[in-house]
Amino acid sequence: MEVLNNRGVEDYQTAGPKQSYFSPYSFNGGSILAVAGEDFAVIASDSRLSEGFSIHTRDQPKTYQLTQNTVVGACGFHGDVLTLIKVLKARIKMYLHEHNKDMSSTAVAAMLSTILYYRRFFPYYVYNIVAGIDDEGKGCVFSFDPVGSYEREPYRAGGSASSMLQPLMDNQVGFKNLPKQARVPLSKEEVVKKVRDGFISAAERDIYTGDEVVVNIITKDGVEVERFPLRKD
Amino acid sequence: MFLTRSEYDRGVNTFSPEGRLFQVEYAIEAIKLGSTAIGIQTNEGVVLAVEKRVTSPLIEPSSIEKILEVDDHIGCAMSGLIADSRTLVDRARVEAQNHWFTYNEKMSVESVTQAVSNLALAFGDDDSEQAVMSRPFGVALLFAGIDKGGPQLYHMDPSGTFIKYEAKAIGSGSEGAQQALQDVYHKSMTLKEACKSALTILKQVMEEKLNSTNVEMSTVTAEKKFHVFSKQELEEVIKDI
Repeated sequence: MEVLNNRGVEDYQTAGPKQSYFSPYSFNGGSILAVAGEDFAVIASDSRLSEGFSIHTRDQPKTYQLTQNTVVGACGFHGDVLTLIKVLKARIKMYLHEHNKDMSSTAVAAMLSTILYYRRFFPYYVYNIVAGIDDEGKGCVFSFDPVGSYEREPYRAGGSASSMLQPLMDNQVGFKNLPKQARVPLSKEEVVKKVRDGFISAAERDIYTGDEVVVNIITKDGVEVERFPLRKD
Repeated sequence: MFLTRSEYDRGVNTFSPEGRLFQVEYAIEAIKLGSTAIGIQTNEGVVLAVEKRVTSPLIEPSSIEKILEVDDHIGCAMSGLIADSRTLVDRARVEAQNHWFTYNEKMSVESVTQAVSNLALAFGDDDSEQAVMSRPFGVALLFAGIDKGGPQLYHMDPSGTFIKYEAKAIGSGSEGAQQALQDVYHKSMTLKEACKSALTILKQVMEEKLNSTNVEMSTVTAEKKFHVFSKQELEEVIKDI
């Protein structure tokens, strides 16, 4: 059907504006928490993997043992978590073969920082915390942002409930706003108890945290794992 | 020579029927033309000493450098075709810095030596491949350093073979020097004794008279890291021998 305007010229039509989206990321929740002690480190995560209002699985802890005394906690986009952990494990094995020694926790942390920064403009959507034993035999915790900025800290929370866990740990582990006499270094058992309590509280308020908390206790002799139930709703 | 070795010393990557790579063996021979270099490992640190051939009074002796720094904690002495060592030492430096950048720790002496030795057999006469070098290196290296395993000394030759030593001599006077090292070396040697022994042995195998301008010496210790002896420090040691 020909439509002519008053000048006798055929009308033309254009497509309307069209936007394309590329969304390579999603968010799968999960919380991680690590505390460094005198000669030990504790790192824990919940085991819930979710997306929006649905739970993919109730049994996916987000801590990964990398060496005899290094455990990394990683949460955010689970697809990126899996790839990043695979890369880390491969690099640690290559290091072992190249240098005939296990990688130290501090070296793992430094390497993770460079791996993350090499993806500066298409980052791994992963929040990482590395816990382990340093070269002097002291417990150590390193926290990261997704593009590799990292820092050694006495304790750190990461992931979806980090904004609830961190201030609780500031008070209970960092002794913030407490009288001097309360500032007594914590034992392994006390730390585990406080970490567990933190997760129980976080599971009350955060829908992306729950099901189970998996606690890794790292000493020079290796890693022990304990599990405690959390809210499942 | 032409009869027995026929064509097999032409291609750099061709084995002879007896299973030898002549070009690599010749490269090892080239080291024996170089000036003598000595390394001694002690519990306190490692010492490197080399002879400098100042063949003309018009040569500026400080421009002859045969001990180079690889990193704070690793030094390298050389003998043979010194120009070839540039490539190797450059690689050693790059590897050491890369390791520090990635792992925030010092690279071990063995790992540096290993990394450099990977270059040694990267030669070939094949144009199609990305062979960078047309012939083997004509230089041997002594890597001296300190890492978590304590003071260490490694020797690497043009075949890429590297071996850990307590004391090692390379270059033209190496045979005599190695024998002398075997006689004088003991496990509880102090660094000071090692420095003295290194220069004493160099003095024995050098054609010229040893003085503070025709030798170079450096140590790697936990306290001072890689340290090159100044003229005064050298004279201090020389007056005792």
